[in-house]
Amino acid sequence: MRRDVFQAIADPTRREIINLVADKPLNLNTVAQQFSISRPAISKHIKILVECGLIEINQLGRERFCKARTEQLAQVSDWIENFRHLWEARLDSFEEYLTQIQNKGNDDGKQRNE
Amino acid sequence: MNKRILTLVRNFSAPRKLVWEAWTQSEHIAKWWGPMGMKTRVVDLDFKEGGNWKYIMTAPNGSEFPAHGVFTEIIELEKIVSSADFEPVTHGVIITALFEDLDDKTKLTFSVTHPTEEYCSKQEKMGVMNGWGANFDGLENYLSQLP
Repeated sequence: MRRDVFQAIADPTRREIINLVADKPLNLNTVAQQFSISRPAISKHIKILVECGLIEINQLGRERFCKARTEQLAQVSDWIENFRHLWEARLDSFEEYLTQIQNKGNDDGKQRNE
Repeated sequence: MNKRILTLVRNFSAPRKLVWEAWTQSEHIAKWWGPMGMKTRVVDLDFKEGGNWKYIMTAPNGSEFPAHGVFTEIIELEKIVSSADFEPVTHGVIITALFEDLDDKTKLTFSVTHPTEEYCSKQEKMGVMNGWGANFDGLENYLSQLP
């Protein structure tokens, strides 16, 4: 199973969890109470976020706190990198399209050896 | 590394004239602007200096991602500079495309210049979470549905 920042943020609930704890650590109950989905489902999302290195869990007395690892968060939200991701995909698409229209042109006329 | 500028260089196996036309004409743009076959409609394209453009990309989940801008410099078959806003999160970037011959191929140098470092860091918090994150959801879902 892939465990990286993109997987971490690919789910809207996980993005909300990160948003919730981005400013200050919150205990797990408080986090879970913000959502209508089941406690085990939230735990699973938090587990994935921990595995992706985006949050950490600290035991403080009897409570467990959920804290954003801000240095990782900076990596996730390196929006220029995301922008790159999008533009790479867009240029891939452009390249495919160029190939497509050239092949079409060839089919219409005489076949050319590639 | 200058974090303000994102540069991508690609060589395409196509003559420069064709690359230029595919990049600048609306019937072509609608076919490639949306990555992974995401639908795009060109609502506005006045291809001249000072002319406006607006393309709307629709993600597989139905959300729309409009992009619009104004062409600030056009040198036929060589260079296009434009301002651009990518809704909802990225505003005031400059996009530049340079086209050059490279043997029988065409070299495209594409760059996006973001306004300031401060702007970048301000965008950081909201950027991925609200905008592109949602966009990637769409992409990932769409990809996973492909045969």
